[in-house]
Amino acid sequence: MNFFLQVMISGLLLGTTYALLGVGFSLIWGVARVLNITHAIFAVLAAYAAYWPMKLYNLDPFLILLGIIPLFFLLGVLLYEGPIRLLERRTPNLELSSLVLTFGLAYALENMMAYLWSPGPRLLNTPYTGHSLSLLGIYFPLTQVYSFLLSVVTIVAIYLFLYHTHLGKAVRAVWQDRDGAVLSGVNLHSVTAITYGVAIASAGVAGVAMALIYAFNPAIHLGWLIYIFLVVIMGGVGSMLGAGVAGLFTGLVINLSVLFIPFAWSNLLLFSGLLLLLFIRPRGLLQR
Amino acid sequence: MRFPSWATILVLAIFLALIPSFRPSVYMLSFLSLLLMYAALATSWNIAGGYTGYLSFGHVAFFGVGGYTTALLLIAFKWSPLWTSWLGGLLAALFATLVGYPCLRLHGPYFSLVTLILALAVKVIVLNMRWTGGSSGLWIPLPPWDTFTTRVIFFEAMVFLLAFVLLVARAIYLGKIGKGLTAIRENEIVAQAIGINTTYLKMVAFITSAFLTGVIGGLYSYMQNYIHPDMMFDPTISVFMVLMALFGGAKTWFGPLIGAATLRVVDEILTLSIQAEMARILFGLILAGVVLFMPDGLSALVVQSVSKLKKVAAEKVG
Repeated sequence: MNFFLQVMISGLLLGTTYALLGVGFSLIWGVARVLNITHAIFAVLAAYAAYWPMKLYNLDPFLILLGIIPLFFLLGVLLYEGPIRLLERRTPNLELSSLVLTFGLAYALENMMAYLWSPGPRLLNTPYTGHSLSLLGIYFPLTQVYSFLLSVVTIVAIYLFLYHTHLGKAVRAVWQDRDGAVLSGVNLHSVTAITYGVAIASAGVAGVAMALIYAFNPAIHLGWLIYIFLVVIMGGVGSMLGAGVAGLFTGLVINLSVLFIPFAWSNLLLFSGLLLLLFIRPRGLLQR
Repeated sequence: MRFPSWATILVLAIFLALIPSFRPSVYMLSFLSLLLMYAALATSWNIAGGYTGYLSFGHVAFFGVGGYTTALLLIAFKWSPLWTSWLGGLLAALFATLVGYPCLRLHGPYFSLVTLILALAVKVIVLNMRWTGGSSGLWIPLPPWDTFTTRVIFFEAMVFLLAFVLLVARAIYLGKIGKGLTAIRENEIVAQAIGINTTYLKMVAFITSAFLTGVIGGLYSYMQNYIHPDMMFDPTISVFMVLMALFGGAKTWFGPLIGAATLRVVDEILTLSIQAEMARILFGLILAGVVLFMPDGLSALVVQSVSKLKKVAAEKVG
């Protein structure tokens, strides 16, 4: 029984990171109508950005995070100001073209990382890796607890930004009604740029949180992307609560399924779940 | 789009089929076979992706199904992939029928995502089945000919397949189906409203495309000594199909051919001179660049310059 509880709780802890990935992804989807395939590759990039200083100079990943957040915010803004803006002006069908565009960019970035840092798996080996916290007879690996805290704090921060700041209000306005927001004097361009910044910065944090628990390599972003789709489609775009619940559920399913079926099949279970979901709601629960 | 007559396609095929009589090197033959294979793959992808506008990112699933079918039949019954590849195509078509109906209800990016995930899922299944050799892969018995003859046979088979794929694509495009598919690409709701059975047409295009891809995959696995899910279900192959068709221009018949030829040559040079990863970085960027700077592909540039030349010529005469 204790073992069962243990598996469930660690699944829930894991789920918050999936939720964070999903929240960032759906921010861009909601505000800019772009399915950003590069979201997970930026998470992997952040994992490497945390890995190298730790490996070379023994810096703590949490310290490095202070640099990662502004850097990835900037990368997000650049992603928007560069290729996406260029595309916006040229294409009649932004949804599909941006999918192909970001797919190409993700593919290039993945192979760039494989070229620079080898395609082999890496592990964040922090001073607290391997230690665990015991509570009521249940053991929590410290890395999992830190990863959980990181994700929760970031989700709360995004929530506070969206619902308790003036700028966040503008973001939500664009999300709900683009034309209406522009008519009321919202600067569409800068709001979209900031949304990209926030989303990619959150992807960076999520990447570090993932790297604390899992080994990572450049090619893993496709796997993470599938978790993201699952969370976003299940939770529905536009609802932070939905993404949160869907993320927790995903983590739970991943961990519990390992108890009953071999690990490789648990991925298949998730794929089938996602396919089923899309077939029940052909436009995706994505469509608000 | 103007398709050439079937006679032109046949003459082109005969011309290509004569190449081995000049006794090119084995390397050259293998390189050309792969080039023709990708041209055929891009053309078959285009039947679904280009004509209807449903961009499938998971066609490698059909490729792999075809490849594993012929490999398993060869190992179990010693049946030659030269003809079982058609069975591989049929199996791929059957699979496409099963997944096509639910998938094609999705539109735009959702369809692309689901096909991408589907291909990953099929790979996981093959990787974990015992009868497919799983993660240890399959050793393919060597063809019973000497190296040069083998390569010539593969080359001729690829020439035949490319001609076949082109003829099928031509028949579909010029027929009533093609008109319906174009209508779907331009505006599916309007197409439905004027009485086009869109579901049926999309299925026909998707299944035909999957069948041809499966046949090509069936032959490809025979060209290898060893196959593994990582290579038969490599997402890179899907990327190549999309990239070649879009790069060449998905709206013309020769677009995928130019795309395949150009990118294969670039890939070969880059892989030989720098590194495979470098080539892939460049391909990712090319894919992004095509969407940004030449949404109608290389063939649009060709068509434009040809019509410009004609204009200049007409002015001189007049």
